[in-house]
Amino acid sequence: MKKRVGVFVCDCGTNIASVVDTEKVAEYASTLPGVVYSTTYKYMCSDPGQELVRKSIQEHQLEQLVIASCSPRMHEKTFRRAAEAGGLNGYMFEMVNIREQNSWVHPDREEATRKAQDLVRMGVSKVLRNKPLQVATVPISKKAMVIGGGIAGMQAALDIAEAGHQVILVEREATIGGKMTQLDKTFPTMDCAA
Amino acid sequence: MVAVAQHPNIEMRTLAEVVKVSGFIGNFNVTIKQKAKYVDWDLCTGCGTCWEKCPSKKIKDEYDLGIGLRTAIHKVFPQAVPGKPYIDAANCTKLTKDKCGICEKVCPTEAIRFNDKDELITEEVGAIIMATGYDLFKWEENHGEYGYGKYPDVVSSLYFERLVSAGGPTGGKIVRPSDGKEPKSVAFIKCVGSRDDTKGKSYCSRACCMYTAKHAYQVKDKIPDGEAYVFYMDVRTAGKNYEEFYQRSLNAGARYIRGRVSKIYPRGDRLVLKSEDTLMGMPMEVEVDMVVLATAMVPSEGAAELAKTIGFSTDKDGFFQEAHPKLQPVETFSAGVYLAGACQGPKDIPDTVAQASAAAVKVCGLFSKTELATEPMIVEIETDKCSGCGFCVPICPYNALSLVDLSFRGHHGTVTREIAEVNPSLCQGCGACLPACRTLALSLKGYSNEQLVAEVDALCL
Repeated sequence: MKKRVGVFVCDCGTNIASVVDTEKVAEYASTLPGVVYSTTYKYMCSDPGQELVRKSIQEHQLEQLVIASCSPRMHEKTFRRAAEAGGLNGYMFEMVNIREQNSWVHPDREEATRKAQDLVRMGVSKVLRNKPLQVATVPISKKAMVIGGGIAGMQAALDIAEAGHQVILVEREATIGGKMTQLDKTFPTMDCAA
Repeated sequence: MVAVAQHPNIEMRTLAEVVKVSGFIGNFNVTIKQKAKYVDWDLCTGCGTCWEKCPSKKIKDEYDLGIGLRTAIHKVFPQAVPGKPYIDAANCTKLTKDKCGICEKVCPTEAIRFNDKDELITEEVGAIIMATGYDLFKWEENHGEYGYGKYPDVVSSLYFERLVSAGGPTGGKIVRPSDGKEPKSVAFIKCVGSRDDTKGKSYCSRACCMYTAKHAYQVKDKIPDGEAYVFYMDVRTAGKNYEEFYQRSLNAGARYIRGRVSKIYPRGDRLVLKSEDTLMGMPMEVEVDMVVLATAMVPSEGAAELAKTIGFSTDKDGFFQEAHPKLQPVETFSAGVYLAGACQGPKDIPDTVAQASAAAVKVCGLFSKTELATEPMIVEIETDKCSGCGFCVPICPYNALSLVDLSFRGHHGTVTREIAEVNPSLCQGCGACLPACRTLALSLKGYSNEQLVAEVDALCL
């Protein structure tokens, strides 16, 4: 596999850029071995941001991506799709968290920027050793279980059942209805609970 | 309730508890304990002969919070669904002392089964919705200033609901627990256990302001010369038509006093509340016939253990933790497990219904696919390196690893030895097994040892 890494550093509005000097991080990234392209953008997760990733993959024949932005919990799937839209395997991408684990917790601009550079360097080093991975599929058992037969459980069970799926409603007491059945009229309409 | 019972796609299991959950999104394996009912519900018609004849009639009815009495074989309440009785084993003389058995004799369909036992049932499901609800904060154990429950006329708001309910033990008549007389004045105390870091919980229980406004209105409505006093910290009416509802209570004559009640003590057969009216800046006293406490909502008993069994987390107060408070309010960190209602945090009926429908949509979205893509970042095993020690097997929280026989050709014929094998649909890629592997035969795809070392080297070298 050719080593052609693209590094994308996200400002996240001011969430990252107010603490981390993203321009400096991108500039530093361009000096790392294997990196052929690096840039910053205001919102990497936005439509134009993803478009930038997609276009850059093609323009610079990128083989690996590092995106320095928020937590992977937030946007790993977003960027994986962007990588795939650009023609790469979605797993030839590493996400580097410079928001939750950096700009949100560090006040000092210089140190936070240095930490972001360290994190990006680690990401680049890792992504160069990534291998394409293939997604497998498993069948879904189309039956739901609802645990608890109060208002919430009954409503959820009814909605799923109405959509045409089987539901098992499990209730600990001898009757469904939960606390609701113990109530008199209920606010704000004053209709009966049962 | 009846709509649920009648729906052809819903299978109801009451007197049942979930004891074990294995598997993963799309393919959960759930073990349910069906508790003994001692009545064959397929035969029972719910005619009621058994509970009319049951001689154990003096059991305090928990459903009515002890206001009424019930029998050992009973329905929880007349409109229960399913409308069939069960035997409360602890209070049945046949089951405890082998005496009686009258219900068996009088049952016209021979549905009584004294030899009924708890049984375990397994079900395969693709998604789970948690809707375990809430319990009420135990004020009797924490609020000495309100008498630790020793004054009979200091009751909880749920108790008051049973009193005002048309289907309740008094037929909707508000009476005092101590002497059965109609109270002429009722005081309501809000935030008992809520918004109270020292004795209770730091959070707001959200429904109490509104149901207390309702209770105060009901006192004014049902007792024409009655007085309703409401002691409050704030009145929170954030909801459609809520503020209007509160104004209706005020217009009906409910008297709202901003202040915390510091002490309740008896004077004759009445109760005195000492408080401060913080709007007037003056201490005050009110003498009333009855006090109703709006107690905090707390997680349902056993909820934390259930979360542990299924494998998702709870928050600092024991409510089920949503994956994201704004963007994923009905998801959990365990894929395929969703939340609905007060098990996720205190909420009222409109919010509960909305959240339940949201959770149902998530399940329907999942079920709209025939197959589910699995995360490829799972464990792989190099068979040459695996020594078959089996250390990894018990560590896996998803039961994805097992030892299997591997046969290969050796110098002196076929040799068979044990090696570890991973079930790719069970493995969640958590990596817990990796440190246990002494021969480095296990590695996580996407997080290989080579990749991790490269990261460390990049930082340290």
